[in-house]
Amino acid sequence: MHPAAKRPGRAIRNRLIAASCTLLSAAAARAGDGGADPAAPAEDGQTIVDTALAYYAENNGRVRAIEPIVNLRHDFGDERILALKLTFDSLSGATPNGAVPSTRPQTFASPSGHSLTAAPQTYTTASGQTSVISSPIYTVAAGQLPMDPNYHDQRLAVSGTYQLPVSGLTQATLGGDLSYEHDFLSVSGNGAIAHDFNQKNTTLSLGGNLEFDMVRPIGGAPVAGSDYTLFEKQGDHTKHDANVVLGLTQIMTRRWLADVNVSYDQLNGYLNDPYKIVSLVDSLGSVTGYLYEKRPDRRSRTSVFLENRLALDRASAGLTLRYMSDDWGIHSETAQLKLRWSNPQRDRYLEPQLRWYRQTAANFYTPWISSGGTGYITNASADERLGAFHAVTWGLKYAARFPDDSGGDGSELSLRAEFYRQTPDRRLAGPGALSGLNLYPGLQAVLVQVEWRFGY
Amino acid sequence: MHIVKLCGRLLALGMLLGATGCSSLGVKPWQHELMARDEMKLDSEAIDNALDDHLYFSKEASSGGRGFAGGGCGCN
Repeated sequence: MHPAAKRPGRAIRNRLIAASCTLLSAAAARAGDGGADPAAPAEDGQTIVDTALAYYAENNGRVRAIEPIVNLRHDFGDERILALKLTFDSLSGATPNGAVPSTRPQTFASPSGHSLTAAPQTYTTASGQTSVISSPIYTVAAGQLPMDPNYHDQRLAVSGTYQLPVSGLTQATLGGDLSYEHDFLSVSGNGAIAHDFNQKNTTLSLGGNLEFDMVRPIGGAPVAGSDYTLFEKQGDHTKHDANVVLGLTQIMTRRWLADVNVSYDQLNGYLNDPYKIVSLVDSLGSVTGYLYEKRPDRRSRTSVFLENRLALDRASAGLTLRYMSDDWGIHSETAQLKLRWSNPQRDRYLEPQLRWYRQTAANFYTPWISSGGTGYITNASADERLGAFHAVTWGLKYAARFPDDSGGDGSELSLRAEFYRQTPDRRLAGPGALSGLNLYPGLQAVLVQVEWRFGY
Repeated sequence: MHIVKLCGRLLALGMLLGATGCSSLGVKPWQHELMARDEMKLDSEAIDNALDDHLYFSKEASSGGRGFAGGGCGCN
């Protein structure tokens, strides 16, 4: 039996309160979407624990990841809610280094490498001391997409938000995030305020986030645009991101909720991927060398996000649309549809989803550089994530709710699976010998997630 | 300064819309029962959205929209 059917009066009251709180602070809470979520329903003094374990795997031996997440949310009453979120990622597998396939085997150095030969090299320091070091290298077979097979990383992220009332119709949310990887550190702080209008049918919110990142690549950050074989590296770099989000949530009808967010963010600093290179290719299709990629050190993005939710008797639907544009020349459109069917008791539901995404390429994206050029590049990246492609995600979620014998709201156990396929657009044929190779293999990935949510 | 100016303009636009454009929309307080369902709460799938956002942040050039665009991740 669903808890709401067991205790109708209390359940409806609590849910109305929760709905009101949610509407008051929805956009504000979602402004901190990367962090914990304080606006979900919780009774005074109650703690809600939301735990999940996700497994992610890409095709062709590429990245695999295991990601446990724990969300804690405590309601102190008086609309004061503290939410904490802990995330751990463990990643391994192979990741493309940006170079194109070749008709000949290609040898690369791992990020900590300083030479393209495996033989021990003798180095003399400025103080006159000598050392002998073997450089980690890997060789990619002819015709294969160059990938570093030794990719591994771990990430630990902690975030928190605190929601508090400012007045009867206004709420504020303060939050912060800390994320640590052995080659990356990110610290951010955010704040948002939400105000209710029109008999709580309309909520307007404004949020801001400041993020500071330190990029500490293994082996040092390469000099952008430099010759890969020279291994010119400079140590650590930083980047900053300032983001504002304006949101408007509106109850349109008894069954229809709409939400629109306008977001602007500006990034400054070291925006390169320090592990990505670009191939130099001559007119015959032979790879003659490589350069470290070079991106602009500024980026501004604007996005418009629209979400609609529709409640039917035993079904519901959610449709989200997003348009994003930046000054790198990338424009993207995203559409996602979720449908949910519940059983008559509303303690089981099935939720299929479909997402479609398309982006244009950055104006400095190039799969390779013609080696007959001037030899000097302003900006260039062969990172496939900056190229033109479209992607489709199919997903299915099944959830079961279990009542609590002691009269609480019980728990919910769910299983979700997604299949993601990314297909490159605007495929340029390679020159000469490269014309017969698959230069754009695309990407397929699966995500499987089990989630358990309960309150006490 | 550019961001401060933009914030001011967005806030003014939003207040105008909130105070006028939406005043004829909505329902009475006693008609909110469907909005109280879990699936009608915009933040009811926080973990699903967080995992999806992390996936898309690391594989695509766009991020954010639902919330802040930053990722706190070195994967992009």
